[in-house]
Amino acid sequence: MSMSRQRRWEQIFTYVGAAVVFLLIVFPMYGLVLTSIQEEDDIRSPDLDLIPRYILTDHYREVLREGHIVPIREAMGNSLMVSVATAVITLLFAFPATYALTRLKLWGSKAILGALMSIYLFPVMLFVAPLYVKAVQFGLIDTYIGLIIPYVAFSLPFSIWLLKGFLEGIPVEIEEAAHLDGCTPWQLFAHIVIPLMRPGIFAVMLMVFILAWTEFLTPLLFTRDIKILTVQLGLYRSTFDIKIGQMAAAAVLTALPVVLLTAFFQRIITQAITAVVDK
Amino acid sequence: METQTAGTLAHRPSVARRRMRAETRLGWMLVTPALALLAAVYLYPAVMTLLFSFSRISLSELSIEGLVGLQYYRAALNNEAFIATVLRTLKFGFTIVVLTLVISFPIALLLHRPFFGRGIVRTAVLLPWAIPPVVSSVLWGQMFHAEAGFINGLIRAFGGEPRIWLGDPNLAFYSIIVVEVWRAIPLATLFMLAGLSTLPDSIYEAATIDGATKWQQFRHLTLPLMQPVVIPIVIFQFIFSMKAFDSIFVLTRGGPVQSTTTLNYLAYQQWFQQLRMGQSAATAYILLLLTLVVIGVMGLVRWAAERRMGGAGR
Repeated sequence: MSMSRQRRWEQIFTYVGAAVVFLLIVFPMYGLVLTSIQEEDDIRSPDLDLIPRYILTDHYREVLREGHIVPIREAMGNSLMVSVATAVITLLFAFPATYALTRLKLWGSKAILGALMSIYLFPVMLFVAPLYVKAVQFGLIDTYIGLIIPYVAFSLPFSIWLLKGFLEGIPVEIEEAAHLDGCTPWQLFAHIVIPLMRPGIFAVMLMVFILAWTEFLTPLLFTRDIKILTVQLGLYRSTFDIKIGQMAAAAVLTALPVVLLTAFFQRIITQAITAVVDK
Repeated sequence: METQTAGTLAHRPSVARRRMRAETRLGWMLVTPALALLAAVYLYPAVMTLLFSFSRISLSELSIEGLVGLQYYRAALNNEAFIATVLRTLKFGFTIVVLTLVISFPIALLLHRPFFGRGIVRTAVLLPWAIPPVVSSVLWGQMFHAEAGFINGLIRAFGGEPRIWLGDPNLAFYSIIVVEVWRAIPLATLFMLAGLSTLPDSIYEAATIDGATKWQQFRHLTLPLMQPVVIPIVIFQFIFSMKAFDSIFVLTRGGPVQSTTTLNYLAYQQWFQQLRMGQSAATAYILLLLTLVVIGVMGLVRWAAERRMGGAGR
């Protein structure tokens, strides 16, 4: 009987704990969504209203309207393009490099892999200032490519590590057998390695997309023109000259794509993070 | 592994060697684009920044005019405000690390045990990682908002005195820390969960048979066994905190009165706002040095702990 009582207490404890954790993490996000659907006067009123009495879509409509002072819709388009391009280009650089570093006889591949991860140790300010100078000299300010180059470089190290984990999961024997059957290296790559690596390729593109979508410092420094505005910079600009409700709506819109991706592909992302951090 | 194939295929060593050389050539062809890009975006700028930190820089050309030796470093270390920023940066990093651990560990323990609805809580815990930093700054900015914020709303509801969170030097520092810890919880929790799942059930069963209470099991099994998992999280999180930028930039701009200025933010201000490029470069390198020293010490602690554990095992 004491055993069952103890178990019951444990269960209560677990659920109370889960509720506390859930609130701690979710409450700020809930607050943001709540703000985005309330009248400006209600937002500013000092009374605490945690349950909405109405749902207002005006802030969203206003923020998405053409010609709004902070063009979030155009910014989402820009960010989508830059993020997809970054994901694809990162893969084009990372995949061959990973293959060579894990599968081929390469002098110093261990050292290269180690050096790759140590890049994240360095403060970004060590890189951005001279990069900024070069971007000005090469006319890359306010261009897509001026954003994509640094994004790809920021993503490469962890992408290579992530792909390495997936590649190591494929037995070399498969490749060896194909080789003995007379597969050319290209056939081997196209018909065996790449199809087997599909989950890894997807995980990398997902992670890089999220990173590119959330990046702020690079567009802050490398873009000025409103035509090339990315979502994060757009949201930052919205902190100056629009109302709290609209700012909340812009923030929700900015976060929505990556939040949905994360919730949907939670398992893949969790595995990817633990795999990379584990190293 | 690759040499095995070469060995079975080639009966004469010269063929094997030729094949190996071809393999190496292909290897370098595949790695070079990635390495070239990384060298251009990391190595070249890092070397330039190092040079800048010893040079006088022309403002119009953004080029090096002449060498000044250690002048910027000396100026920094002789400046009281700079030393205060170094100490603030350390306090910032350690506070974030400790709070992240203290909050994430119970969450990981909770999520480690099965319960109804665990999937939803797990997803929720992951979300702050995915929320873009500018969004989390805006979101917390609204939470901390003096008149419209939910925090002051809650305080008022319980009859307390509302505060100007981001306007008070002492509170602003901890407000930024709250934002950073909230963002750090997912990674730390995930990592600890991964660590917890590697602990073998058999030792807990043995401990239960020996009559150890749940608390004793936690104290003498879980805590020491998690030590090797916790130290990498500490190192990781410390590095991230040293690089914090977005939340400071969006919420406080390093103020009020420098209270939220970390070395990273100072380096940004010096370069892009005060146009003191050389000084900024020196600040960035001092930050790197500081990070390296701290994680070096943490690495030593880890090594010592492993040695002690290894000794106890034998």
